[in-house]
Amino acid sequence: MPGLLEIHNLSKSFDTTKVINDFSMEVTEGTLCCLVGPNGAGKTTTMDLITGRIKPTSGKIVFANEDITAKHEHIIARSGIGRKFQVPAVLRDMTVRQNLEVAYSRQTNPFWNLFKFRVAGLKQKLDEIATLAGLTGRLNDRAGILSHGETQWLEIGMVLMQEPRLLLMDEPIAGMTEGEIEKTVRIFRDLRKTATLVVVEHDMGFVREIADEVVVMHMGSLLAQGTIQQIEGNARVREVYLGEQEAA
Amino acid sequence: MGNLYHNKTAQWLVYAAFFAGLAVIPMTVDDSFLLNQLATYGVYGMLALSISLCWGFGGILNLGQGIAFGLGAYGMAMTMQMQTQDESNPIPPFMLNNSLDHLPMLWQPFQNTYIGMILAVAAPTLFCAVFGGIMFRARVSGPFFAIMTLAMLSAFYTIIIDRQPYTGGVNGLTPPSSLQFAGFEVDPYSPTAYWVVFSFLLGATVLAKLITQSSFGLVTQAIRDDSERVRFLGYSVAGYETVIYTVSGLIAAVAGCCWVMLVQYVSPAQLDVGFSLSMVIWAAIGGRYSLLGSIIGAFIIQGAQSYLGDAFLATWLLILGGFFIVVVRFLPNGLASLVESGLGLFATKRGPASAEPNGDAKPIPAE
Ligand SMILES: Nc1ncnc2c1ncn2[C@@H]1O[C@H](COP(=O)(O)OP(=O)(O)O)[C@@H](O)[C@H]1O
Ligand SMILES: [Mg+2]
Repeated sequence: MPGLLEIHNLSKSFDTTKVINDFSMEVTEGTLCCLVGPNGAGKTTTMDLITGRIKPTSGKIVFANEDITAKHEHIIARSGIGRKFQVPAVLRDMTVRQNLEVAYSRQTNPFWNLFKFRVAGLKQKLDEIATLAGLTGRLNDRAGILSHGETQWLEIGMVLMQEPRLLLMDEPIAGMTEGEIEKTVRIFRDLRKTATLVVVEHDMGFVREIADEVVVMHMGSLLAQGTIQQIEGNARVREVYLGEQEAA
Repeated sequence: MGNLYHNKTAQWLVYAAFFAGLAVIPMTVDDSFLLNQLATYGVYGMLALSISLCWGFGGILNLGQGIAFGLGAYGMAMTMQMQTQDESNPIPPFMLNNSLDHLPMLWQPFQNTYIGMILAVAAPTLFCAVFGGIMFRARVSGPFFAIMTLAMLSAFYTIIIDRQPYTGGVNGLTPPSSLQFAGFEVDPYSPTAYWVVFSFLLGATVLAKLITQSSFGLVTQAIRDDSERVRFLGYSVAGYETVIYTVSGLIAAVAGCCWVMLVQYVSPAQLDVGFSLSMVIWAAIGGRYSLLGSIIGAFIIQGAQSYLGDAFLATWLLILGGFFIVVVRFLPNGLASLVESGLGLFATKRGPASAEPNGDAKPIPAE
C-alpha cells in the first residue's frame, strides 16, 4: 500500500547552498510521523516544499496518489493538507472567531462566497474547536493581542477547522506549559483516528509519547527512519542529533 | 455591550437614514442647476465608494480608477452621440472634421442605445477582470500594483488624445442633446436625472455593503490582513483580489455613465491622474474602511471645492493639501474613525473594560 504522502528524491538549493539533498520519506495513512533533526536540518523547508510555498529544484511529492509537486499553495491546501507554521501565523487584525471562520474553508470559490451569509455547520464546528483549543472566552478578541501560547492554540484550531487529511505541525508545543503539552498529546492521538499527521518537534519526550514513526533529517538528507526505539538505538542518530541534545 | 459602530443593524440604520436624507433633496431644491450639481456629487460618492471597497476593504490601492470611470464615460458619450446621428447623417461631425468618411468599427455597436450602454459598463469591467487577473496572478501587489494602475491610466490617457478621429482627442465628446432612453428624454437638470444617480448610488452601496458582510468579504478581509497565510487555507488570493477589483471597477464604470448623462460631456480630463488621485483622497479623508465615510468624504471635499474653491481660487489646492496632511497625520483612518472612537468611549463607559482591546489598530468587523 502506498503512503498517503510520498516524497521522492527531493532537492532544493538556495543559490549555491543545497538545503534539501536527495531527501525521500513516506507517511502511512492514519499514523503520526515525527520529523526531527538539528536546527537547520531542513525540516521547515521540507514543509515549505510540501505545501507549495517554495518550488523544489528537483524531486517529486505525491499526496493521495496525486503529484502535487510545485502546485500553487491553495491547490495543495484544497487537496487536503493543512499546516501550522513554526512562527505562529494567524490573522492578527481579525478576531479569534473570524480566524476560525475563515479557516473553515469548505467553499473556496469567490463567486459562491459572494452569496453566502450563513455557512452550514460552521457554528457547531466552531464551538467544538474553540472549546478544544480553550479559546471560548477569547472569541471576540483581536488575535494580535493573544499570548504566544494562545496564538499557538488558535493556529492549531485553524488547521483543525480546515478538516485536512494531512496535518503538518511545525513545532506546535513551543511556548506551551506542561499541562498544555499533555493536552496536545491527547488531541494529536485523537486526531490520528481520522487524519494523518507530520509533526516537527525537538522535545524527545513529546516525540516518544506521540510518534508512530520517526524520521530524522540531517543537513537536508534522511538520516534514519523507524520507530522511536529503533531511532534511539541508532548509533548515527545518537552521534549527530541525540548526543548533541543531551549535551545541550 | 460592544461599540455601536460595529453593530450591523446600527450600520444599516445609519445607511438608511443617510439615503432618506438624500431622497428629501429633490423635494426641497427648486434650483435645477443646483440639483444637477448635487447629482454630480452622487457620482463622486460612487467613485469614493468604489475606492473604499477596493482599497479600504480589499487592501488594494488603485490609483487608476479613472480608467473604469473614463471608459464608462466614453461609452456613454458615444451612445448619446450616436443618438443624435441618423441614416442621412450617420457620422459625428468631429469625425468629418478629421476627414473620416465612414463610421469606424469601434463606433458601430453604439448606434444601438441598449448595446451601447451595456458596452459602456461591460468593457471597463472586462478590462478590470483581465488586467487585475494578470496582475494578481503574477502576485503584483501593494505599491507595485498601484504603480501599474497609474501606468495603465496614463497609457489610456495618451491613446485617447492620440486617436483624435476616433475619440475626439483633447476636445473629447460633446453629445448635442440629452440621453433618450426607452422613449423618454432624461433632462440632466430634472429631478429624474437626480433619481437615476440616487438609485445607482443606493444600489452600489447596498451591493458593496452586502459584499463586505458575505463570506467573500470575510476572506477578502483576511487577505488584507495576511494574504500569504490565506493561501494555505485553500483560497485563491488572486481570484478574490480580481473579483473585488472588478466589482470596484464596475461601480466606477456606472459612475462614468451617470456622469456623462449629467454633464453631456467627456474628455481625457476624466482620465487625468489628478482626478484618480482625488478619488483616493476622498476615501482617505472620509475613512477608507467605511463605505459611508468615503461617500461623505467625497461630498465634503467636492462641496468645499465648489463653494470655497471659488472664493480661494489660488490657495484652494494648498488648503486641500493641508487638510489631507492633517487628516492622514492625526486620523489615519479618516473622519469615520472619529465616530468610531466616539462611540467606543460610550461603549467602554457602559460595558466591561475588556470589550475594547484595540487602540490604533484597524477596525475589526466588516467595515
Ligand atoms: N530562503 C532561504 N534562503 C537561503 N537559505 C535558506 C532559506 N530558507 C532556509 N534556508 C537555510 O536552509 C537551512 C534549513 O532551514 P530550515 O528548514 O528552517 O531548518 P529547520 O526547520 O530544520 O530548523 C538553514 O541552514 C537555513 O539557513
Ligand atoms: Mg524549522
